[in-house]
Amino acid sequence: MPRDPVALAERAREGHTASGARLIRMLEEGDEGALLGLRALLPHAGRAHVLGITGPPGAGKSTLVDRIVGELRRREKRVGVIAVDPSSPFSGGAILGDRVRMNTHATDPGVFIRSMATRGQLGGLSKTAFEATTVLDAMGFDLVLIETVGVGQDEVDVVELAHTTAVVSIPGMGDDIQAIKAGILEIGDVFIVNKADLPHADRVAKQLTAMLHLREPAEDGWDPPIVKTEAERAKGIPELVDTIERHRTHLETTGGLARKTRRRSERVFHDLLRERAAARVLAAQSDGGASILAALREGEIDPYSAVDALISEG
Amino acid sequence: MTAAPRPSPDEDDRLEAAERRWRQDVLDPALARTGQRQEAFRTQQLHWPVQDVYTPRDLEAIGFDYLKDLGFPGEFPYTRGTTPGGYRQDFWKMLQVTGFGTAKDSSERWSKMLEQGLNGFIIEYDLPTTNGYDSDHPLAEGEVARAGTAIDTLPDMVQALDLPWDKLQHLNSVCNAPQPVNLAMILAALEEKGIDPASFTLQMSNAILIEYTCVGRYIYPPKHGLRIATDCIEYTIRNCPNWIPITVVSAQIYAARANPVQELAFGFSIAMEYLDATLERGFDIDEVAPYWSFVTGLEMDFMEAVSKLRAYRKIWARLMKERYGARKPESMELRLISSPGTTGLTLQQPLNNIARLAIQMLACAAGGGAYAITTPLHDEAHALPTEEAVRTGIAVQHIVAHETGIADTVDPFAGAYMLEVMTKRMEDEVMAEIEKIDAMGGALAAIEAGYFQKELARSQRARFSEIEDGVRKQVGVNHLVDPDEDRAIEVFKLGQEAERKQVDQLTRIRRDRDEEMVAKALERVREAAMGDENLVPPILDAVKALATQGEICDVMRDVFGVYHPDSLTSGV
Amino acid sequence: MAERKIRVLLAKLGLDSHTVGVTVIAQSLRDAGMEVIYTGLRQTPDMVVQAALQEDVDVIGISSLSGAQMQHIPKVLDKLREEEIDDKLVVVGGVIPDEDADSLLASGVDRVFTMGAKTSEIAEFIREWWDEQQSSHASVSSEGA
Repeated sequence: MPRDPVALAERAREGHTASGARLIRMLEEGDEGALLGLRALLPHAGRAHVLGITGPPGAGKSTLVDRIVGELRRREKRVGVIAVDPSSPFSGGAILGDRVRMNTHATDPGVFIRSMATRGQLGGLSKTAFEATTVLDAMGFDLVLIETVGVGQDEVDVVELAHTTAVVSIPGMGDDIQAIKAGILEIGDVFIVNKADLPHADRVAKQLTAMLHLREPAEDGWDPPIVKTEAERAKGIPELVDTIERHRTHLETTGGLARKTRRRSERVFHDLLRERAAARVLAAQSDGGASILAALREGEIDPYSAVDALISEG
Repeated sequence: MTAAPRPSPDEDDRLEAAERRWRQDVLDPALARTGQRQEAFRTQQLHWPVQDVYTPRDLEAIGFDYLKDLGFPGEFPYTRGTTPGGYRQDFWKMLQVTGFGTAKDSSERWSKMLEQGLNGFIIEYDLPTTNGYDSDHPLAEGEVARAGTAIDTLPDMVQALDLPWDKLQHLNSVCNAPQPVNLAMILAALEEKGIDPASFTLQMSNAILIEYTCVGRYIYPPKHGLRIATDCIEYTIRNCPNWIPITVVSAQIYAARANPVQELAFGFSIAMEYLDATLERGFDIDEVAPYWSFVTGLEMDFMEAVSKLRAYRKIWARLMKERYGARKPESMELRLISSPGTTGLTLQQPLNNIARLAIQMLACAAGGGAYAITTPLHDEAHALPTEEAVRTGIAVQHIVAHETGIADTVDPFAGAYMLEVMTKRMEDEVMAEIEKIDAMGGALAAIEAGYFQKELARSQRARFSEIEDGVRKQVGVNHLVDPDEDRAIEVFKLGQEAERKQVDQLTRIRRDRDEEMVAKALERVREAAMGDENLVPPILDAVKALATQGEICDVMRDVFGVYHPDSLTSGV
Repeated sequence: MAERKIRVLLAKLGLDSHTVGVTVIAQSLRDAGMEVIYTGLRQTPDMVVQAALQEDVDVIGISSLSGAQMQHIPKVLDKLREEEIDDKLVVVGGVIPDEDADSLLASGVDRVFTMGAKTSEIAEFIREWWDEQQSSHASVSSEGA
């Protein structure tokens, strides 16, 4: 497999799975050369609808994604999935298990599933995940789903950058709504109450409605709907996909799509700038910044002075 | 009745003074000369600290009360055994886990084993059968009749049960996910053979919740798995009252490297999940609790094993009496099979396993209370056991029974200070873990949330590390390793012949049966699955109409969906 | 620049549902800093190869304990050849008789770990192979430059 990013981009655009996957890999690794490939793909991207799905662990997101993919396939859409799981803070490794729940689509050429670890990297997950959606977009996938573990701020960033953000909750998670309250209630376009066969599903839906009323009305006039699903038995999935498509249409007609795309560009610009600039500053140090980091760890220098020292030297 | 003798405060002081003196004057000087082998000692699985000596003061410290904690054999809390006379009344039943090849291959071997002096055996089915696939399913390729007997249709079961029925007392059938189909096959086969179901005991594992926890041979999502298991339980209690419809094989959890506390806590929580589901169908606790049975696993730490077996009985008795308000003794008497060889055997130097099995067998007998013990096999690791291994396994059972004298006293180690301390701690920790699982909403919720799976994954990792790092010694593995050992693995090979024969038979039956009858019977199964009706009767009709196991399971797959777990290891 | 991570696919083929080994190895590789993609049970050779392609893994690890390895693993190798994939390390672990191991090695498996192999040994083997790849890759690119 070549590592020439432009050649990879070319083949990826022709639908060659391994080439697309390799390009995503290089982007994930922060390979600056890979951005050449990405730029080659940009003119061919922009058609895919990017759907972010988040919610607390245990809400059944992977099963839900599996069912949404199934429904989209019935509608003859090609679907890319980016499934995000956390990296171990101790080893930097990860166990990525989201494919397990998506095995029904494992050999469907119209589905591309890529597992991604959070990695705690400099530019943030949002940048990498979105570079990956761009690749999948250019490869001709009509929809790209990003599924996150739904815990960190990183992931709020990711879904915030999607065209449509779906927030999943389930009944019986103790403080039902509290779990999804932190920041994410503000950004959801569609709210899903999964495992709707459990007791109190209606109560959760009512709580959500009440809380959404407290939210600032959206400037584009979209009133976030609440959809009840039972992903395990594929109930409520066509209605959910209808709702997602309705949101897409709404965005198109109200100019929201362009606005979201702009926001995303800005975000990627800032992320990338921060990453590249920081990398450059560190690279300018003879030891790659190791000594100043060591001093920081030992408490010999505070973080503010450390940055000052680097920037002024650079 | 007078209170059990306990050390008086004076006596306690005297003991304390005596121990202090012994430590200062005797132990310390000795250790000053030789030192200790290692700084601290711990039990093998639970890593509980082990003291150098235990005295009556340790019993005092845990509030040990003879009548409350031990009592007498055959009485609550059954710590000393569920029968008053223990193994003086009768030895345990000696069972054998077995099954391979086509139904004919198996029945021939089983018949021979019954002639050799076993009272019964445990049928193991091949992977396609336990996963609810027919022998001609694409996933079945290469697995048909390999790890057990292949059963697709009623004629297979009729053939498999071609046995000397006068010698058979106990038959255990392990087919968790498709258990209602398996039950129906056995019922229909007995009917065809004219054998009275009351003439022997059929024991089913029916332990689907354990499959989600660690074994992995599940089909439907857990709550539907629980429903069909409960259908089997209800049907059996109402129609074959001397059979045992539910066996919580905590040995499988143990084999997946649970520690003894996890084995018991997960096992009991699972048992209670089935129990609650059955009670919801209108039974009284004393009508159903006596049907609950268990299989426990054994490992090498002798004291852990003996205390686990004793705690196992006591906790069940307490749960039934205190939580469920059971009144009948049978409800509180744990029905237990012990399974030496569950873990702790090594692939390296396989003959060493005979010693290990003898020790585990001894622990089974000393811990007591098991009404049956499976026959351990030292070369079972991965091959079909050789005839010699089977013979040796049976011999180990008889050596422990007849030559050691261990079976001649009921609960012979009772009162041993260390053992009672460990038994009590086992009980307390298991109860605490059960309460933790209760707080999650019970076993089903804990499994759906992946709690059991994650705990096990952690235990597995820890166990492997201990052995790899040499913290825990295992002869032949990290201690007394023979560098020249030829570790060639022999895997029993049936060749393609059994698979081909099985598929041929299946094809033939499909060709010759009345398709319309099959379709109608399967439709009835679908209706039952969609509603609340017990699934066993319509499945029995479908089996008699020669519907295949795979076809019946497919109908339920359609209705219930197929289970895809969360990654077994994510979030560990 | 973000660091490169070794990505490993771990799969169970057919109806073999013994997961203790694969669970332990997944954790061990994770703790060695690798990203492990676990496919779950009941995989077909095609599913494994598709996952390996989409995930762009470096290593394909197949665990086999039921004895059906010769039914499935050669098909994985055939599919890899069909897809013209030759840059992935293929490792098999489990209960593999010698003759099967020999035949798997001959048909393109890079290493067979039988029962009793240390999990750390597997991580080390992968790491060494990776380092070798990296250095040969580095020398190729410097030649190209």
